[in-house]
Amino acid sequence: MRTFIGIDLGSTTTKSVLVDENLAVLGRGITNSRSNYDVAARVSKQEAKIAARFTLFRNALGKDAEHLLSDLERNFRLEQFLSALRQLEETCMGYLDHPRFQGTKTALRGSLDAVFRKIEGEAQEIYAPGAARKSDFFRDIAGSRFMNLAEAACREADIPFETMLNIYDKSIIDVESRVDPDETVAVQMKNGLTRSLASAEGVGVDRGEALSALGTVLAIELEETYVVGTGYGRVRLPFPKEHIRSEILCHGLGAHMMFPGTRTVLDIGGQDTKGIQVDENGIVTSFQMNDRCAAGCGRYLGYIADEMKIGLHELGPIAMKATRVPRINSTCTVFAGAELRDRLALGERREDILAGLHRAIMLRAISIISRSGGVTNEFTFTGGVAKNEAAVRELRKLLKENYGDMTINISPDSIYTGALGGANFALRAVLN
Amino acid sequence: MTVAIGVDVGSGVVKTALFRVEGEKSEWLSRWDARIRQRNTFELVEESMKSVLDAAELARDDVDYIATTGEGESLPGATGHFYSMTTHARGALYLNPEARAVLDIGALHGRAISIDGKGKVLTYRMTSQCASGSGQFLENISRYLGIAQDEIGALSQQATKPEKVSSICAVLAETDVINMVSRAIKPGDILRGIHESMAERMIKLLKSIDVKRGMVMMTGGLALDAGLVSALQDGMVQQKMETTVAAHADSLYAGAIGAALWGAFRHGKLKERGLLPKVS
Repeated sequence: MRTFIGIDLGSTTTKSVLVDENLAVLGRGITNSRSNYDVAARVSKQEAKIAARFTLFRNALGKDAEHLLSDLERNFRLEQFLSALRQLEETCMGYLDHPRFQGTKTALRGSLDAVFRKIEGEAQEIYAPGAARKSDFFRDIAGSRFMNLAEAACREADIPFETMLNIYDKSIIDVESRVDPDETVAVQMKNGLTRSLASAEGVGVDRGEALSALGTVLAIELEETYVVGTGYGRVRLPFPKEHIRSEILCHGLGAHMMFPGTRTVLDIGGQDTKGIQVDENGIVTSFQMNDRCAAGCGRYLGYIADEMKIGLHELGPIAMKATRVPRINSTCTVFAGAELRDRLALGERREDILAGLHRAIMLRAISIISRSGGVTNEFTFTGGVAKNEAAVRELRKLLKENYGDMTINISPDSIYTGALGGANFALRAVLN
Repeated sequence: MTVAIGVDVGSGVVKTALFRVEGEKSEWLSRWDARIRQRNTFELVEESMKSVLDAAELARDDVDYIATTGEGESLPGATGHFYSMTTHARGALYLNPEARAVLDIGALHGRAISIDGKGKVLTYRMTSQCASGSGQFLENISRYLGIAQDEIGALSQQATKPEKVSSICAVLAETDVINMVSRAIKPGDILRGIHESMAERMIKLLKSIDVKRGMVMMTGGLALDAGLVSALQDGMVQQKMETTVAAHADSLYAGAIGAALWGAFRHGKLKERGLLPKVS
């Protein structure tokens, strides 16, 4: 079938949206951008295709299959995780042959082995039904487990933690740069389904029917009829010029597609924050961006999460428990991290400090919007930070204080706004 | 005879030094340092005290003065606190009697201090509230490149085509570095470019306090980064300054040394005036 793909190459994450000829979204995919943009584009596109196959499979089975499908998705992710973990272990072990580690090789091998066996053992638990994961990315999940376990393993074996950290840093980049081919994905999906059918009691779906439906879905060729790239990394793509659109246009159009009444868009991405004004057709009339400084962008929160050794997903829920919102004095992200440590050391509550940090980032964002031409009803908040309830709470407060009551649109898929706009441009390029 | 401990609590590392001072003679008996890495600073300091005392075969009661510096002001059990400018000046002079200016590059801040031959602070200037070009910044960059800290200096010095960077946000540097790597720029050239931009920033500080000639002593953890030191020296030559940069293997301890020495000095003064509390 013909498909149209928009890829938004953000600084932190790369998003893909895959639509069919009727502009219906079949799948969305997201990955870390850390390794490089070519890889990130391939991985997120593959993820969007995986999601599209899930959608097609869902359509083939009908409504009774919801339970089976969520179970299948979970088992599929577990398969993916284990496969990446095996690759990470191989890569780490490979680095031990470096002359740097000559003296400590045996001790390091033992410690690495212990760490990986432990993570392997935890994998089932990490992907257990209903388990909350700190992040959707292998790097974050495996990384945080690795750090915790490695610190203990190093103490036991009396090797410097920095060495383990260095081996991990070298290896994770290699592992993240690998894209599983379609055949591997098909095997992982089949394995996942077999696992789900074996364990899921009374799924209300006939085994044979499910297996043959999956076979049919996997056989469908998802033709990449037209791909449009946008976002920070778009210039680095192996795309001809006509396949590239400005991220401002894509975000404006994407926001308009989701909420046609949109006039002002705030997009907080990984490393830039944009205030955009659009007209009734989703055409951008003016915009403002922050200059290369992490304060006021998503990375600010990412950095704080790293500082606290918690997942990005956990920040918002913790900040929601605040009883007071202190004023954070530091503008710079790194200084804010130090201020956080100081405040913690002085006995301030973690929840309150985090709420203060959320307010700080939104204050910066509001000043960017005001420079782009203020706020006109309806207001749409997009980008990854829109998923963070504490950030949203502070935004609502600030908008009310400064602009009065208005409609505030936030979609659960807001992180895909730019990619959705891109997919629409891809479709228009072929059909018009 | 005075026994003094200097504790320098930085934002990244705790440094502790124990001295025995007799008139003009000071003897450095033991030392200790550790990365804080989200541990409780006060507990680390306690650990460091125990360790320096054990190494010098002394007991807590033998200590006349515990001097803090850096962010150690609220440390329970300290006798007194000295400001970083003062302690780094004193420590730099201890490590290098020729020093007439100090460049302290820590995890978050950079400082330029001009001093006289006695270690008195004449004037100083600090970097602002942005971590670009700080020690933390360099550490982030090396991590993104997968390079251990002790590899940085040598790699930077092998650079053939330094990649020019203007000030980059310490947090967003990751993306810049990824782009450089994907443009096939060698890690050494990236690091040298970073070192040069850091050097430029520090030289601006020095010039702003009118340091034009003489020995500039590096203190703090980054003094051990040979790549940064050589970028500083090259930058000074380019700017036609008549200054020489020096670093010392113990530059990391400059603040702790200065604190201990000032602590011992103050203790001596109090003793002379009979102002010490009576030991019951």
